[in-house]
Amino acid sequence: MRSIVLLLLFVFVGHQAIAFPQEKIGKEELLVLPGEVGRAGGRLVVSLRGEPKTLNPLIAADARSREVIGVMQADLVHINRATQQTEPALAKSWKISPDGLSYTIVLRRGLKFSDGQPLDADDVLFTFRVYLDENVHAPQRDLLMVGGKPITVRKVDEHTVVFQLAKTYGVGERLFDGLAILPRHLLEKRYEEGKLGQIGSLATAADQWAGLGPFRLKEYVAGQRLVLERNPYYWKSDAQGGRLPYLDELVFLFVPNADAQVLKFQSGETDMISQVGAENFSVLSKQQHGYTMVDAGPGLEYNFLFFNLNDSIEKTSPDIQRKQKWFREVNFRQAVSAAVDREAIVRLVYQGRGAALWGLVAPGNRRWGNEKLPHPARSLDRARTLLKEAGFSWSNGPDGGSTLLDSDGKSVEFSILTSSTNADRAKMAALIQDDLKQLGMRVQVVPLESRSLLDRVTQSRDYDACIMGIASYDADANSDISVWLSSGGLHLWSPSQAHPATSWEAEIDRLIEEQMSARTFEQRKKLYDRAQEILAENQPMIFLASPNILAGAKNSIGNFHPAVLEPYVLWNVEQLYLKNGMENATR
Amino acid sequence: MRYLLRRLSHALFLLAGVSILAFLFTALAPGTYFDEMRLNPQIAPETVTALRAQYGFDKPLPVRYASWLRSVIHGEMGFSFAYNGPVAPLLLVRARNTLLLTITATLLAWGIALPLGVWSADRLGRLPDRLLSWATAGLLVIPDLAVALGLLVLAVRSGWFPTGGMASVDFETLSPFNKLRDLALHMILPVTALVLSSLPLLVRHVRAAVADVLNAPFLLAAVGHGIRKRTLLYRYALPAAANPLISLFGFSIGVLLSGSLLIEVVMSWPGLGPLLLEAVLARDLYVVVGGILGSTLFLVGGNLLADLLLYWADPRIRTESGAR
Repeated sequence: MRSIVLLLLFVFVGHQAIAFPQEKIGKEELLVLPGEVGRAGGRLVVSLRGEPKTLNPLIAADARSREVIGVMQADLVHINRATQQTEPALAKSWKISPDGLSYTIVLRRGLKFSDGQPLDADDVLFTFRVYLDENVHAPQRDLLMVGGKPITVRKVDEHTVVFQLAKTYGVGERLFDGLAILPRHLLEKRYEEGKLGQIGSLATAADQWAGLGPFRLKEYVAGQRLVLERNPYYWKSDAQGGRLPYLDELVFLFVPNADAQVLKFQSGETDMISQVGAENFSVLSKQQHGYTMVDAGPGLEYNFLFFNLNDSIEKTSPDIQRKQKWFREVNFRQAVSAAVDREAIVRLVYQGRGAALWGLVAPGNRRWGNEKLPHPARSLDRARTLLKEAGFSWSNGPDGGSTLLDSDGKSVEFSILTSSTNADRAKMAALIQDDLKQLGMRVQVVPLESRSLLDRVTQSRDYDACIMGIASYDADANSDISVWLSSGGLHLWSPSQAHPATSWEAEIDRLIEEQMSARTFEQRKKLYDRAQEILAENQPMIFLASPNILAGAKNSIGNFHPAVLEPYVLWNVEQLYLKNGMENATR
Repeated sequence: MRYLLRRLSHALFLLAGVSILAFLFTALAPGTYFDEMRLNPQIAPETVTALRAQYGFDKPLPVRYASWLRSVIHGEMGFSFAYNGPVAPLLLVRARNTLLLTITATLLAWGIALPLGVWSADRLGRLPDRLLSWATAGLLVIPDLAVALGLLVLAVRSGWFPTGGMASVDFETLSPFNKLRDLALHMILPVTALVLSSLPLLVRHVRAAVADVLNAPFLLAAVGHGIRKRTLLYRYALPAAANPLISLFGFSIGVLLSGSLLIEVVMSWPGLGPLLLEAVLARDLYVVVGGILGSTLFLVGGNLLADLLLYWADPRIRTESGAR
C-alpha cells in the first residue's frame, strides 16, 4: 500500500516538473498542461440550474453567471481546483519582494483575446483601475483592499506590472485567482462614459465581447441556452503541443431546477452533471448506462446551527431576551452540540455521502483543518452533566417524558429556522429536534423562504436559532473571513458588531487579523488552528455536516475529474474531450 | 360604443389598482434582492449599500412607484436587478414562448371539449355519458403536477420525447421543416399536460349548457320538424347554450399568460414560469410586478372580449344596454 502511495506521489511530482516550462509556438508563450492528451472537436452540453444573468464580471453576483464567465475569462494567477495550489496563468511568473509588499508579475508574451486583439500590460492596468473605481461598484474592489487601502498597480514594461500592497497579505498570489483580465480595447470607451455596468448582457453580439478564457460567445437564446465556441487564441496547449481547448462548442442549457437537470442527464440530453443531491445521486447510480457517477468526497460547504446571540436591541422581543439567557450560556451550547447526532445526519440526510463536522474548516479543505480539534461522539450523559452544571433541571411530566427547566423553573422551548427551499437542512432540523427532545428541550422547526430567513437573521434579528450552510469559495482561510471577524456580515450569531461582544470573539478577531498579514503558511496555520480551537470551545456555531461533491458524466467524456472546489466539473474544461468514435450523436 | 368605453375605463382602473397592490405587496415581502449579496463574503456591506442607493432602494415607496410608472410609460416596465436591464424585453421574449404553448393548448382543449360535451349531452344519463363523467371527474382530481411528472417519467423511460425544453441544442442548424418538427416534438408533452388539466372542466360546462337547452320547447319543435340531429345540435342547440360558454372562453383567454406557469417550471419550458418563479425568490421585484401586470392585462382583455362576444351573440344584452 505504501509503495503505491509513493508511486503516485512520484508520478505526481513528475507531472509538476513538466507543468511549467514554457513552450514557444511562434512568438506565443503557451502554457503546457500535463495530463491525458485528448482529441479535438465535438460539443459538450451541460445544464445550468436557471439562467445566467450577465457576462460582465463587474456585475456578476450569482453562481450561474460566475460559472459561465469562468470559462470565458482568465486570471493572472490561478488556483488549481484539484491541487488547491496556485499556478501560473496569464502571468508567466511572479515574484514577491522580501518585505512582502510588492508583487512583480510577468505576462506571457504574444497572447491574444478571443477576438484576436493582443494582450499587454495596459489591459492589466485598465482592469485593475476599473475594479478599484468606486463608481463602478465592482464586487472585486473589496478583494483588492488590503489593510484598508486599495492595491496600486504600476507598469514596468509591456509585459511586466508591479502590484503594491499597503500591508503584507497572507493570502499572497491567491488574491489574483478569479480576477478576470478585461479587454481594454472593447471596454475603455464605455468606462469613460460611465456605462460599464450596462454592458455584457447575455444578448450582447458575439463580436462585441471578448475574453481570455477557453471559450467565447457564440449565441444566446433567451430562457433556453447559451452556446459558446472554442477560443482559437487560447493560451494553453496539451503535452503534445496541440492547442486547447479540445471541444469546438460548449452549450449551457437552462433548466429551472435540480430535478430537471437530473432528467436531462438521465435521458442523455446533457453530457455532464454536478451538484447532484444524495438522493438523485443514488437513483442515477443504480441505472448507469453510458454514464458514470463520481463521488469526489467532501466539499467546502459547512452546515451549522446557531443561536441568536445578538445584543439586546430594542427590536428584540422580551421573549427572545428571556431565551437568550440560555443561549448565552456556554454550557447550554456545548450540551446541544453534545446531543446532536452528526453521524445520523450524514447517514440520513446525505445517505452516507457526507462528513460529520466539528469545526468551520470542512474536510474537503486539504490544508487548513485543525487535526487536533476534538471530535467527541454523541453523548447525552455529557450533555445532561453540562446542563446540570449550568443550573438546569428536569421535571417529569405526566406522560413520562421529562421537560428541561431553566434556573427560574421555566421550560426550555425554542424554534429553529430553516430555508424551505433546502430539503437537506429541513431534514437536519427534524433530526436535531428529535435529538434535543431527548434532553427535554422542546424545539419547533420553522421553514421559511430563503430571503425571509436572511431578513430575519441579518436584519430584524427576530429568531431563536437557525440552521444555515456556507460554501467557501476557496480553500484559503481568508475566504471565511467575514464569518470569523466580529465585524463581519457572516458572523451570523451576531453580525457586524462595532466592538467584539465577548473576550473570546476579541481573541478570534486578533488571531484572524494577525494571520492575514503573517508571511508564511506555518505562521498562518498556527494562528488559524488556535482560532478554530476557540470556536470549538465556545460553540457559537454548532457544526453539523458537510456534503460530498457528487457529479457524473457520460463515459464518452475524457479527462473528467470533478473537484471539490467550484466549478466542480468545468474547472478543467479546456482539457475535456470526446473520446474516439464516441462523438455525441445529435438527438 | 358607450358600452365599450365604459368597459375600457373599468379595465384601466382595475389595472392601476392591481399595479399599486402588486407593487405594495412585493415591496412588503421580507428581504430584498441585495440581501443575498450580504451573504457573499467577497462583497463588502458598503458596496451593497451603494448598490441599493444606485437602484433607488433608499427612497420611499411612492417615489419608487412614480419612477416605475415613468418607466412603464417609456415601455421599459421597470428595471431588473438580476439581469441589470429593463424588464419589458425580458418579459416579451418569454411571453411569446408562453403564448405559443397556451394558445395551442387552449385551441386544442376547446376543439376537443365542444364536440365531446355536445356528444355527451345528447346521450345524457346513458352509459357513454356516465363513463365520460367519471373520466372527467377522475382527471379533475389528479393534480396538474402529477400529470406533468407522469408525462416526464414517460419521456425518460420511453425516450420518445425530449424531457422538457423548447428546442434541441442544434436547432439553429436544422432545415425549416425539421425545426417545425423539433418544436412540435418539444410541445407535445407540455401541451398534453395543459389540455388534460383544462379539458374536464370545459367538457362538463359544455355538456351542462347544451343539456339545459336540449329540452327547450323550440328544440322539441325542431325535432318535430324532422331536422337532422347534427344540424339540430350544432346549428340550434349550441348557439342557444353559448352564453356561459362565451364567459368561460373569456376566462380561458384570461389565463393564457398565467395558466401554464407550473407546467413550464416542471417541463423546463422557457416561458414566463421559470422567470417569474426565480424573480419572486430573488425579490427581483419589477420583474414580478411586470409579470403580474401582464397577466392582469390578459385577464381584463379576456373578460372584455367575452363581454363583447356576448353583446354580439345575445340580443338581450344589446337591447338592455341600448335602452339606457
